[in-house]
Amino acid sequence: MSGASARSLGKGSAPPGQVPEGLIRVYSMRFCPFAKRTLLVLKAKGIGHEVININLKNKPEWFFKKNPFGLVPVLENSQGQVIYESAITCEYLDEAYPGKKLLPHDPYEKACQKMVFELFSKVPPLLLSFLRRQNKEDCSGLKEELHKEFSKLEEVLTKQKTTFFGGSSLSMIDYLIWPWFEWLVALELNEYVNHTPNLKLWMAAMMKDPAVSSLFIDPKAFRGFLDLYLQNNLEACDYGL
Amino acid sequence: MRFCPYAHRTRLVLQAKGIRHEVININLRNKPEWYFTKHPFGKIPVLENSKCQLIYESVIACEYLDDAYPGRKLYPCDSYERARQKMLLELFYKVPHLTKECLIALRCGRECADLKLALRQEFCNLEEILGYQNTVFFGGDCISMIDYLFWPWFERLDVYGIADCVNHTPALRLWIAAMKQDPTVCALLIDKNIFLGFLNLYFQNNPDAFDYGLSC
Repeated sequence: MSGASARSLGKGSAPPGQVPEGLIRVYSMRFCPFAKRTLLVLKAKGIGHEVININLKNKPEWFFKKNPFGLVPVLENSQGQVIYESAITCEYLDEAYPGKKLLPHDPYEKACQKMVFELFSKVPPLLLSFLRRQNKEDCSGLKEELHKEFSKLEEVLTKQKTTFFGGSSLSMIDYLIWPWFEWLVALELNEYVNHTPNLKLWMAAMMKDPAVSSLFIDPKAFRGFLDLYLQNNLEACDYGL
Repeated sequence: MRFCPYAHRTRLVLQAKGIRHEVININLRNKPEWYFTKHPFGKIPVLENSKCQLIYESVIACEYLDDAYPGRKLYPCDSYERARQKMLLELFYKVPHLTKECLIALRCGRECADLKLALRQEFCNLEEILGYQNTVFFGGDCISMIDYLFWPWFERLDVYGIADCVNHTPALRLWIAAMKQDPTVCALLIDKNIFLGFLNLYFQNNPDAFDYGLSC
């Protein structure tokens, strides 16, 4: 959709205008896994949208008026309503827009997806710490912690005997946790799921999903971005453009 | 557990929606072995229904009850308003930890001026929301889910000894007063002396603390 591959807006940039009728805007960053959640849901539900990328290393002043936390993703609709926090944006899109529901209707099944989401919550900071330290310090402790967290997820799939975390078809919880596993694929770290065969199978199944494959991160661009980002380089967010 | 703020959230929702329920209190310092089959880390609250389905994490439990049971909906129907309440909850996330740290510091005779300052800052953020919205409650003119999710920590400010942290936030004080008028909140209000009795025993590491105030 428009803007997904556009240069990011940084400090000193003019605030964007009103969101056109019939579209929803997402403030994003091409390599942000949290924003990826929202983009996946927009794609999966076929929601018309425009993307404005934000330079997270050099944020525009006006962006804090959209989200006081200054983080992406942020949704803005043509009525000027703003929604932030990735999980909240995804749930909002599922509720507000027609078509295929990604969250189950059954209250218990919905609660189960949220409990799995909680189970996953240690992975993002762990994976980021791991990537920061790779090749620099000994990160065997982190590796072990990651294994532990992956084992928890493996246990869910084993117990349920289903391919996906929500059952036999792909649903919200799968999209919410996918972006970090996409990093493993892009960085050729698939060995980290060697001890968790069901998780490995899940990753393979996810790669076949149309929304996932159409938004799949470019491995070279991601590595370039990561190097610059970890050095706090202001150009990181636009790597490859 | 009768004094746990997270479990309090769930009990408020059960009460507000008039959901028939039974309560089993868990001794958190001496957990029964079987309880770990209900929650992997033995935390509360946990809901269990007649189908043996288990739901935990207080916020997830509250949302489940609102979705699964009929009657008055505590979350708004409008998707944007629902999202707003969830965003407000994010704004609140530092409050439980800060109030607990203040309590511990005061009970251990330690200084907590920095902690109280940090807590006051969080309360200022919430004050700003009420000011901007110009409503009594966080969800609008009527009490709703977000108010119940916040309430347990505000009910505890007095017994924790940090009631002065709302001295500079008048809208928040009005909200507290309005909450105390709510029939659901009132029905579950814990007697101050019993709470203090619990806290005294708890900080002496007495395993009977959780049952303080119960006769036999």
